[in-house]
Amino acid sequence: MNFFIDIVRQLSRACGVFASILIASAIVVVCQMVVLRYFLQESTVWQTDYVTYALVAATLIGSPYVLLIKGHVNVDLLPHYLSLPARKILALLASIGGLVFTALLAWKGYEMFAEALHGGWVTDTIWELPLWIPYLSIPLGIGLLSLQYVADILALLNGRDMPFAMDTHSAFEGE
Amino acid sequence: MDPLFIGLLVAFATILVLSSGIPVAFGLGLVAVGFLFAFEGLDSLDVMAETFFSGLAEFALVSIPMFIVMGAAVASSPAGKDLYAALDRWLNRVPGGLIISNIGACSIFAALSGSSPATCAAIGKMGIPEMRKRGYPDGLATGSIAAGGTLGILIPPSITMIVYGIATETSIGRLFLAGLLPGLLLTTLFMCWSLYTAWQNGYSFKDQANKYSWREKFEVLPRIFPFLLIIVGVLYVLYGGVATPSEAAGVGAMFCLVLVVVIYGMWQPRKIWNILSDSMKESVMILMIIGASALFSYTLSSLYVTQSVAEYIAALDINKWQLLIIINLFLLVAGFFLPPVAVILMTAPILLPIIVQAGFDPYWFAVVFTINMEIGLITPPVGLNLYVINGIVPDVSLPTILKGALPFMLCMVLAIAILCVFPEIATWLPNYMMGGG
Repeated sequence: MNFFIDIVRQLSRACGVFASILIASAIVVVCQMVVLRYFLQESTVWQTDYVTYALVAATLIGSPYVLLIKGHVNVDLLPHYLSLPARKILALLASIGGLVFTALLAWKGYEMFAEALHGGWVTDTIWELPLWIPYLSIPLGIGLLSLQYVADILALLNGRDMPFAMDTHSAFEGE
Repeated sequence: MDPLFIGLLVAFATILVLSSGIPVAFGLGLVAVGFLFAFEGLDSLDVMAETFFSGLAEFALVSIPMFIVMGAAVASSPAGKDLYAALDRWLNRVPGGLIISNIGACSIFAALSGSSPATCAAIGKMGIPEMRKRGYPDGLATGSIAAGGTLGILIPPSITMIVYGIATETSIGRLFLAGLLPGLLLTTLFMCWSLYTAWQNGYSFKDQANKYSWREKFEVLPRIFPFLLIIVGVLYVLYGGVATPSEAAGVGAMFCLVLVVVIYGMWQPRKIWNILSDSMKESVMILMIIGASALFSYTLSSLYVTQSVAEYIAALDINKWQLLIIINLFLLVAGFFLPPVAVILMTAPILLPIIVQAGFDPYWFAVVFTINMEIGLITPPVGLNLYVINGIVPDVSLPTILKGALPFMLCMVLAIAILCVFPEIATWLPNYMMGGG
């Protein structure tokens, strides 16, 4: 079981690296687009689509890593007031709830991806990017997110993790 | 079933699910999917992936990760320290200059970083010990920084405003402008209160002030000017109609990264990577909430909850100010428990039509909404700024910080009242610069 947890955690870390690279690439492309459009007065073809979809992909694929480091903001008021065993039960319930949602989303996302692939769907922009490419980020990212949830639940059950990782606090942008 | 009753059920289920400690994004998604399934059957879930995806696939949203990178670059560098030093050196002859410098530094840093906790951490680390050393009361020293940090979500560029713009389909450029003067108003109110209370407590402003030479005053400027130029540049590009917010933010992010490399010598790949990876975490977290909220509002409107709530409130026999007070109280309570982004995404699409119907300006309401969210940042149970400050000065207790922050909360309530009497503070600048109104 520990082997499975470790493998999933490594995968999630790899996802985090990939998502960061996607964000970096989006910054570069935005700047290139601005130079082309406003300084060279040229029209741009693929940049807007690329930047938009790269960031969607970064979000979806980065999500398992953010779950791994408990970076998805939550309301941890109730857990604070519970005893350790009760806290553990609540953490399990919350994780199972999360897993239900992410597994559903991954499944429906896979269906959408498969449909786009077989139907040969493309974006309605000049670039005509095959839509299965951006859609792939849902089954991939959210699929791994579900796996990370399974690993988290296992780690809770065998006592490897503390419920809600109570001692860590992460700052939240946009507050 | 009556849509209004379903709405109550949704509200109840959301509170219940979120209080389990589940991440806000997945909690919202779970409630949305649960209600779709219960009322419209399994087939209705076919659209969930597409709704989630298209909620995210918008070019306007690109500005969020870009502004986050901009803020993370600034926050990871010693820019906050320099900003603080510059203001302190220039203002230290002014009575109460130290506290004015601190609040001023908070507002500028908040604008740059767009993050309240980062602002509290960056300015508080230098400001709080210095204020305590020079004899300011603990509560005032900590409370002023906690409150100053909240300015980040009001003063442009603000991520909270971008989210409001996307949730309500209003102009992000206009929202930024609308937040500027109220942000300055709040800054001024904070400063006035600080001076008044320091004076009341018999604090004499003259003693213990350090003297700085002109050389010391000027040597800090070259390090902070470029960052100020970036803010001004980003805002100019936005309002000159030169580029979209996403493009301006992308270029701003690149410039900030270049500046921290050039000015602070942070050329090591490790440091740049840390900025990127921190930004990735923040933006993934916010954007996942945005995707889930798309699903949440899809569920609400396909079950006719959104429409019925609006109709119900329109049919109530109350005047617009009573309505506004009720909405304010509701937002205030929601802000006590949830992060601003989540409150905006869940409620703004429902509230905005009601507010506009009642004759209020949508941009003015964005400002009032945001100030309510600021109050939530310095109130328990999830007032993040309080905990950040407690982390910086562990020997000042949370109740002391809270007590210190309380008058600043009242300043915010006063600001909302002033905005109700003079809505032009929010609406004049966008109308003047962008026409219409």
